[in-house]
Amino acid sequence: MVPCGIPTYAARVSNGTMTTVGQLVFSGLLIGGIYALMSIGLTLIFGVLRIVNFAHGEFLMVAMYGAWAMTRYLGLNPYYSIVAIVPAMFLFGIVVHRLIVMPALDKPHLVVVFATMGLSILMQNVALMALSADLQDVPPILGGRSFTFGPFYAKPELLIGFAVAVACTLGLRFMLQATYLGKAIRATVQDGEAAQLMGVPVPRIFLITFAAGSALVGLSACIMTPLFSVFPTVGLNFVLIAFVIVVLGGMGSIEGALLGGICIGIVQSLSSYYIAPAFGQMFFFMLFLLVMIFRPAGLLGRKGEATLGIND
Amino acid sequence: MDAAPLTSKRRTGRWRLLPERGTISLFELLLLAICLVLVAVPLPQYLQDVLIQTFLWAGLALAWNIAGGFAGLISFGHAAFFGIGAYTSSILAANYGLTPWIGLWIGGALAAAFGAVLTLVCARLRGPFFILSTLAAAEVVRIAALNWAALTGGAEGFSILPIASIANMVFESKTTYAALMLGYFLLIYVITKAVEGSRYGYYLFAARDDEEAASAAGVNPLLARTGAMCLSAFLAGIGGSLFAQYFLFLDPTHVISPELSFQFALLPALGGLGTAIGPVLGSFVITPLSELLRSYFGGAGAGLHLAIYGAVLVVVMLYFPSGIAGALQRLAERGRKGAP
Repeated sequence: MVPCGIPTYAARVSNGTMTTVGQLVFSGLLIGGIYALMSIGLTLIFGVLRIVNFAHGEFLMVAMYGAWAMTRYLGLNPYYSIVAIVPAMFLFGIVVHRLIVMPALDKPHLVVVFATMGLSILMQNVALMALSADLQDVPPILGGRSFTFGPFYAKPELLIGFAVAVACTLGLRFMLQATYLGKAIRATVQDGEAAQLMGVPVPRIFLITFAAGSALVGLSACIMTPLFSVFPTVGLNFVLIAFVIVVLGGMGSIEGALLGGICIGIVQSLSSYYIAPAFGQMFFFMLFLLVMIFRPAGLLGRKGEATLGIND
Repeated sequence: MDAAPLTSKRRTGRWRLLPERGTISLFELLLLAICLVLVAVPLPQYLQDVLIQTFLWAGLALAWNIAGGFAGLISFGHAAFFGIGAYTSSILAANYGLTPWIGLWIGGALAAAFGAVLTLVCARLRGPFFILSTLAAAEVVRIAALNWAALTGGAEGFSILPIASIANMVFESKTTYAALMLGYFLLIYVITKAVEGSRYGYYLFAARDDEEAASAAGVNPLLARTGAMCLSAFLAGIGGSLFAQYFLFLDPTHVISPELSFQFALLPALGGLGTAIGPVLGSFVITPLSELLRSYFGGAGAGLHLAIYGAVLVVVMLYFPSGIAGALQRLAERGRKGAP
């Protein structure tokens, strides 16, 4: 995955290496925010249900096609499609949870791995049959203009995406800390059985979490459609990045996902400019392996624990 | 995952109807006979191609099963071992004139070394963490192969000279390839049966099912696991070399792709994890089916065979977690109960 536009921005800034580095870090930061947004759903689902949804990338793909179709056929600004895509993905999450995830929860973890893997293959190939392998794009918003911040440039789509990512992280954090639902979710994470005994409807918490995770994927798809082309296997590229981010930040940690996303964005931006885009990818897989070896719980994760803000 | 029971209850004879740990069954002998006949009879080129792929994938799925099914090391990175094997023997043949008959063992050894390092490094990781690490490791290998163009030909690929000779391990007739792949598959099947019935096999099952209890009983889980991954990677690497000799063209996007890694894991999962016959059944059912669907629907239904594959996988995992082998077993038991 070559991050959109980063090398060209860097090339435009020709006065001095420091500015180039600054521009690269700035672009990386913004793109990292968007990567984080796409990973939050995955980390939330892992934190609560303790499962990895291998169809996460295909959820993203479907939602991106949705946002693209609304822009293409209804002439909507992709950001307006959030109103339809997010609830639709919430419902889709409910359906998938009911049909596939819930029946697999009480079976060995392999079952859910392979079942979501099967769903991913199914969705990818149905998309291939129905929509062909062509790359689809939406026209740039604001006519492709870019903003300047002192010496730095940024696409408005990137700025919006980053802002949404930060807002989402803060909002989710607040929700987990302050609302009844958030407390119920945290209780479920800490001790499912005890939570059940205290009257928390654990199966429903699982359902809501899975659906909310899917809705977050829908949100990030609407943010990403103006930035990336859509094609049936787009999910595979992004899901690998999402796995890296989620593990880097600590599986289950929301702030960790934001931090991990920003790290990956900056690493990718710098290494694809100074070395080669493909090596940028290699770097973050190596980073992933190093984190797995030396700090399996991730940057913000506690040893063997999912941290949805419950351990502080 | 449902696996064969640890102790066979009725071990009355060495020959049983259905495969059981440590014995050879009539069913297996029948399958073997069918395989031999299929290789021997003159089939159309196209069907021979399907046969070759089926045997190759049966071998590869069995190789994966030693790590994934027996040792519980679910790997989504076996394409890396496959690719290492394929590239090693091909590069040795092209640059140093070494015959692939020797090169494939070197490729297997390199893959085994990589597997050992990976398992030792990820020793503490469990469940999804291990799976994701193997996926990441395979991606590192793929990107390295893609960018080390001087050695691997990069994205343009690496061609093997199609000069047919025994020393080149390139053959005119598909029958020879079919025999070669059948040999590969049978070799791994025999190894699998041997591991399954051996003391080492029991170590693996013990370490997979309850690590603490296994340690307490004197099994070294890390050593057992690493050995299983080494063996699995070695055999997958050899499979990669054989694939290269048949296909005569390698490129990283096909030989080391995540999709290929998934295929490694899915065939045993569908056939029945942790059994010897499961991966074989998985490949015998799925490989011809997907090849036939692909040719039947052609370009019009691009992706249809994989869509069906995905749907079948979901249903099998949720409702028949012990796969085709488990379903057969149940069917046979019902039959035995039915007969007075």
